[in-house]
Amino acid sequence: MHSERAPLGLKIAAFLGLAFLHLPILLIFVYAFTTEDKTYQWPPPGFTLKWLEVTWNRPDVWEALSLSLQVASISTCIALILGTLAAAAVSRTMFLGKEAITLLVILPIALPGIITGIALRSAFNLADISFSTLTIVLGHATFCIVVVYNNSVARFRRISASMLEASADLGANGFQTFRHILLPNIATALLAGGMLAFALSFDEVIVTTFTAGQQQTLPIWMLEELVRPRQRPVTNVVAMVVVIVTFFPILGAYYLTRGGTDISGSGK
Amino acid sequence: MSNAVEFERVSRHFGETRAVDSVSMQVEEGHFFAMLGPSGSGKTTCLRLISGFERPESGHVKIFGQNSEAVPPNRRPVNTVFQDYALFPHLTVRDNVAYGLMVKGADKSTRHRQADEMLELVKLTGFGSRKPGMLSGGQRQRVALARALVNKPRVLLLDEPLGALDLKLREQMQEELKSIQNQLGITFIYVTHDQGEALSMADRVAVFNEGKIVQEATPREIYERPRTHFVANFVGSSNVLSPTLSVQSGGPSRWMSLRPEAIRLCDPSNSKLKGTLQNIRYLGASNRLSIRFGEEELSVSLPSTEVAPEKGVQVGLTWEEGATHVMDEDH
Repeated sequence: MHSERAPLGLKIAAFLGLAFLHLPILLIFVYAFTTEDKTYQWPPPGFTLKWLEVTWNRPDVWEALSLSLQVASISTCIALILGTLAAAAVSRTMFLGKEAITLLVILPIALPGIITGIALRSAFNLADISFSTLTIVLGHATFCIVVVYNNSVARFRRISASMLEASADLGANGFQTFRHILLPNIATALLAGGMLAFALSFDEVIVTTFTAGQQQTLPIWMLEELVRPRQRPVTNVVAMVVVIVTFFPILGAYYLTRGGTDISGSGK
Repeated sequence: MSNAVEFERVSRHFGETRAVDSVSMQVEEGHFFAMLGPSGSGKTTCLRLISGFERPESGHVKIFGQNSEAVPPNRRPVNTVFQDYALFPHLTVRDNVAYGLMVKGADKSTRHRQADEMLELVKLTGFGSRKPGMLSGGQRQRVALARALVNKPRVLLLDEPLGALDLKLREQMQEELKSIQNQLGITFIYVTHDQGEALSMADRVAVFNEGKIVQEATPREIYERPRTHFVANFVGSSNVLSPTLSVQSGGPSRWMSLRPEAIRLCDPSNSKLKGTLQNIRYLGASNRLSIRFGEEELSVSLPSTEVAPEKGVQVGLTWEEGATHVMDEDH
């Protein structure tokens, strides 16, 4: 017999599970306002807003933040172009080794970041490429492409081939078909994939560690700060910002893909 | 009259499959030309060779006398009504219909005026601002038709356009398609597997089987004088007499076709053939009698007003001279 309502025990277990996942994040928020700056003492002896100001005036935070934004934006752009092209090729055409290509495209996200990192580092060394913003971007692009690819390949499959043929039949050239038919139908998938890619890149640590030179992205900066405590709550303020900056794109991506199910699929 | 479309020994193979195998045909301008055949017989591939989505491996597809091989689909003077309609789900009905004008750079007011005219032609006035998802199957079909006609094509290609509609709607659309074709006077090339549809609408019918045209003629000729066994079986319910049975009935030792409504029952003593009445099916206006001759069976169409004999009795069959028609062997 199934009842409509979940038993109380299950409810408590679910609640505890969620609390275990999310309470630590709240803790970070609380420590951003503590008056104690050497150790994480509980309960906080007092609350202050001064760390917001201190963080605002730290140039190293701004440098790291701007590098992170730069890297995330460029990798997302690369991923949007290459990921979409790969998705189009895999879902719209038949070619030799298609299955193998499909697997190779999604491999970087299945591979542990440390492997990708080491592989890229030795490859860059071998090719005598010095570590720079560019190498970080390349590292991030490997997994960003997968995210965009996965999002758009599903959408491409739902666009009927005859819709694109109908466009050509009515006189549209390749670019017009892309602009007026294909793009409107995959736009939300691209936006969702792009947002996820941005969020992933923005908080990536492992691959970045291996592909960065002297630069620090925001997550790397935070890691350093934890090891070498100096005005500890500043890290918490930054962490809070990171949570907010990555949370909204992911939320957006979730709603876009959810609402996009009825975009294509008329016909038949 | 000149030819709108001409095939010169056109072949298109997919690996081992000979989808279209050395097909030659002419479609006269202004005609309603039906390509009839079972699925996989090559008729849709022929249509795609005309629209340009397939290229011939050998032979030539000529459109208004011009070799079309080098012309991409978007620059051919033909438009297609797709089997699944292929409407653009993100555009309104009006923008769907106006799409062909939009990509040619027509201004907005011209686009809207012409799209609304086309919607009027297909009896969808007032539906312009809806999305395709809000329409019924029959309405989508009309939008697809209007969208293809707005470009004023010289040849309209229709790929099983009524396949997804129910019977009543299909019959209504058949009449409307025919009247639109008369009104606009453009060439229609119509792919279907429904012989009734092909016979009732077309000026010429090409019957396809296994990538080849088996017979190309007027509907009446196809129905009354099927060239082969396959055509007789596929188009309508013509009887096929084996050479043995044909000889028994006093004919030549050849395969013969004989329409069920050309046969009359008569006294067994002066009949052409004698057989056993196996089964009677009531079809409203007529009764369909199956009469058995050993291994073979003929069907006879008898008006309901005539009294049918009992099942199992021996009956005699006769027909007018010239009702039978000698057929070619298949292959």
